[in-house]
Amino acid sequence: MTAAVFFGCTFIAFSPAVALFLLTIARDPLRVIFLIAGAFFWLVSLLLSSLVWFVAVQISNKDSSSQQKGLLAFGVLLSVLLQELFRFAYYKLLKKANEGLLAISQEETMPISVRQLAYVSGLGFGLMSGAFSVVNILSDSVGPGTVGIHGDSQHYFISSAFMTLAIILLHMFWGVVFFDSCERKRWWSLGAVVCSHLLVSCLTFVNPRYEGSLIPTYMLLCVMAVWAFFCAGGSMRNLRLCLTCRDKDFLLVNHRPR
Amino acid sequence: MGSVKRIEFLLICFFYARVSCSSVEQKIYVALNNTTPCVRLLNATHQIGCQSSISGDTGVLHVLETDDDLDWITKTGPHAPYMVLMDSFTFTRSSMMRLKNSSRVAGVAVIHMSTPPDKGFSPHTSCPNQNTGVYTESYGPDLANCSTTVWNPLGNGLSYEDFPFPIFSLADDNETQVIRKCYEDHNKRVNGSAPVYPLCAMQLFSHMHAVTDTVTCMRRTDLQNSFSINPEQLCDPLMDYNVWATIRPINATAKGHKQNESMVIAATRLDGRSFFYDLAPSAEGTVSGIVTLLAAAEALRSVTQVAPPPRNIFFVFFQGETFDYIGSSRMVYDMQNNKSVIDFDNVHSFLEIGQVGLRREQNLWMHSDPISRRNETVNEEVAFLVSNIKSAASMSNLTLDEPNATQALPPSSFQRFLRVRPIPGVVLADHQSSFINKYYESLYDTAEYLKVSYPPNLSPEEQLEYETEAAKSLTEVATLVARSLYKQAGGENSVLKNITADTKTMAKLLYGFLVKSNNSWFRSLLPREMVSKDRILESSPPQYYVSLSQNQQPKSVTTFVKYILANMTGTATNLNQSQCQNPKDIPGESKDLYIYDWISGPASENHTAGEPFCVRAPVRLAKAMSPAFELRQYGSREYSTWTESRWKTIKARIFLVASPQLQMLTLGVGIAVLLVSLVVTYFISSKADILFSSAHDAPNTTY
Amino acid sequence: MEAQTDTRFVPHFPLIRVSNREIMNLERVSNEEKLNLCRKYYLGGFAFLPFLWLVNVVWFFKEAFMKPAYTEQPQIKIYVKRSALGLILWVAVLTTWITIFQHFRAHWGEVADYLSFTIPLGTP
Repeated sequence: MTAAVFFGCTFIAFSPAVALFLLTIARDPLRVIFLIAGAFFWLVSLLLSSLVWFVAVQISNKDSSSQQKGLLAFGVLLSVLLQELFRFAYYKLLKKANEGLLAISQEETMPISVRQLAYVSGLGFGLMSGAFSVVNILSDSVGPGTVGIHGDSQHYFISSAFMTLAIILLHMFWGVVFFDSCERKRWWSLGAVVCSHLLVSCLTFVNPRYEGSLIPTYMLLCVMAVWAFFCAGGSMRNLRLCLTCRDKDFLLVNHRPR
Repeated sequence: MGSVKRIEFLLICFFYARVSCSSVEQKIYVALNNTTPCVRLLNATHQIGCQSSISGDTGVLHVLETDDDLDWITKTGPHAPYMVLMDSFTFTRSSMMRLKNSSRVAGVAVIHMSTPPDKGFSPHTSCPNQNTGVYTESYGPDLANCSTTVWNPLGNGLSYEDFPFPIFSLADDNETQVIRKCYEDHNKRVNGSAPVYPLCAMQLFSHMHAVTDTVTCMRRTDLQNSFSINPEQLCDPLMDYNVWATIRPINATAKGHKQNESMVIAATRLDGRSFFYDLAPSAEGTVSGIVTLLAAAEALRSVTQVAPPPRNIFFVFFQGETFDYIGSSRMVYDMQNNKSVIDFDNVHSFLEIGQVGLRREQNLWMHSDPISRRNETVNEEVAFLVSNIKSAASMSNLTLDEPNATQALPPSSFQRFLRVRPIPGVVLADHQSSFINKYYESLYDTAEYLKVSYPPNLSPEEQLEYETEAAKSLTEVATLVARSLYKQAGGENSVLKNITADTKTMAKLLYGFLVKSNNSWFRSLLPREMVSKDRILESSPPQYYVSLSQNQQPKSVTTFVKYILANMTGTATNLNQSQCQNPKDIPGESKDLYIYDWISGPASENHTAGEPFCVRAPVRLAKAMSPAFELRQYGSREYSTWTESRWKTIKARIFLVASPQLQMLTLGVGIAVLLVSLVVTYFISSKADILFSSAHDAPNTTY
Repeated sequence: MEAQTDTRFVPHFPLIRVSNREIMNLERVSNEEKLNLCRKYYLGGFAFLPFLWLVNVVWFFKEAFMKPAYTEQPQIKIYVKRSALGLILWVAVLTTWITIFQHFRAHWGEVADYLSFTIPLGTP
């Protein structure tokens, strides 16, 4: 469409991520490094899955539509599993790195907690996957045209942007839940993360009926948000405390930049 | 994760080096491939043609059918600017000028209908080459500016207007069906009320680099070439090559006067144009003359070998004549400056073939210049030439006449010769005063208009050989021309009846020049590497716009004429390929007198590719670039100064546009999301200590 | 003991925290040095380098007008004022010329082409 749509969609897709980055990550170099490393791990997983996809497409029968559909389903499954595998690999690496950091650090405590790592790496995953899923759409949104000459819905751009927003946040929450369950060795919740990731991926097959994919995705997003909140150490009591602002003075005194 | 499909597309693209990458783009845009733009040309004082902005011009499509639509587009419609879609019947001067003067028009797309308008259509001027002919204030002032005869009365001058928006021609095919469907689905007015978004729109790209006039663009080009690290050409002079041949070979490497040579010049023109860039079928306007002269040359070959006439005959095909006589003015300039193979003292007389394809009641007209005929000796020689042609005509069933003695010469290359010297000469044409051609320099001047059409169910080979009525009638003209030339060259009367043009040849010429250049006959006459590599042969008729010569290569029509003329005037030799390429040391052969071409040869029953052989012919190319560019007089009033602008992108596509409200809504939602996320994040981050503190995880807040 | 107190302030990733803030900090320069620097920038601006004046004005504005008085301050003040004056003059002259040139470029034709380094394509 035009620049207005481009900026609108960019803001929708990336503003939560950018706000989180600016207000919680940018000030701490260590967090920035872990964020970028997380993004890199996601990229490597994408590279692997696309290599497999590339080979699969070459050997598949291009004329058989059922085979192509199966191939797509296989691609989704593979991509999701690889991403979660790399999240696990990243977790393992971070544990190792944290031990190393602890060893060289003069302080007694770790410079960054596992929960912070989970959040930062999840956001890194989310940012990169969000960028990859929406950038080429955004680049086309600058042009004068909108989707629809072949009968598609013209809400393609805005719904893609909202989908990306959800995916970025979901990756963040998945990261928190995933790392937490690894710490506590709660394997069933690892499985839940992988399943919900698979579910969201499969929901995009409902497109172009965008309400069919967006509404369940956002419902899942809410569930994951609550879960991640509790995993990150949140509780109803904290929330109540926070909302009623009972300890305002305490906050002001103890506020630490992050 | 989410858009796996999209990512995979992206990655596949990485591997395939971005070949037609974006599937999103395919969802949005339908590219139109079968289009021809109107481009910008410039002369010493003006720019003509069309241009878009550098990023293309976009407008909501509206079909122009009635005056009501015109009002809607220029005044009342709410979705300005509009991209006007019209068929070629609506493409008239009045509607185009109204669109030109409206600021609500983004561009025009003209669907070219194959059926021509009955009342005629010519986008050319009514007085072609008005300012560069022979008639000026000092030479026949009462004949200047077509004041006695308006040669092209149907000419509306659209081709010479400057439009501030792009205009594209669309072939009437599947793509136009897609456009029409898009229009019907989205933009059709119901009961006169405006359609609602999303609307079907079109974007046209034809950004032109040159601007104002040739003086400006050549100056800027020169500046760029001398200063810039990355010079950018803005415009190029229109140029190509003239083709000439003689019946007796002359030394082509020695320039200037030829001793003991007296030449009868037989000339015609090689080019035409239309409103749109390189579409120029020019059947009657140009091809009728080309094929007549070629067939006449062939008719003369055998006779001139047996009984050579005392004078030589100089066949010449002038290129770029549509644009203020580029080819002939260059040849005249070269002749004056001893840069041509002959000079004016070698010229005996001049016979030019004009438009001869549409004769009424077998009539042909011999036009001559009344001003030079005021001179008694010139008048006598012209009368002699006329009588020669008449006596040649008496042997056929053609009727020849002279028009009114005070009538000026029609636009012709001969005028450029008359500007220098009063040479006796005649222009042969099918019109008594103004052109019979109703579609002069337009898209409708096609084979069908010349009645070159074939019965159904003929294979291409059969069509090539099929003798149409047009072929028969033009053969008569060619015979007449050949006999007149022979007689004018001083040949014997007794031989005249042996000179006859071949109807078969004429049929093949017409097929090749008007229907399909990729035919077995053309293939056999061209060198094999040209047939296989250069791809100048097409399954469509060649286009006659002169254009600019890329890498000094002559354009396809020039090449065809050169090789066909070589075949018509030359002889087959038994030199082998290497001898043919370098015949210097072989006795009796001379590269000064002849060119040697290793041509493909006709395909026979058992040899599909044909047996190549060496043809020796006195045929040459001569550069046809206006002397103005040689002299660097870009503001010249005497010589043609036409240049063609350069451009980078010529593209057309259709798509839907969303309403401004929806676009602004998207932006608004985006900004709202941004603000909300900033506020919420700040809130959470400032209270993270409380929110994420749990009893057993004391010193480190997680968040 | 001393070493330990020092390392308490060493950041976790020393490489990243290193900056050259000290070098660019006027606070650490003596007053004579400031005057010297200011004069150099002021004189340098006469070599048709108005940006030096701009830098001078921005950089020494606080020194000249906000700081409590010291011996070299009047001199710095003069340099800063003159730099500002020169800068304004330059800005005025350049703005006028650019406006005139852009407005009349097409009108001037040949002359304007010779004055131009790059000519935009497709505009008169």
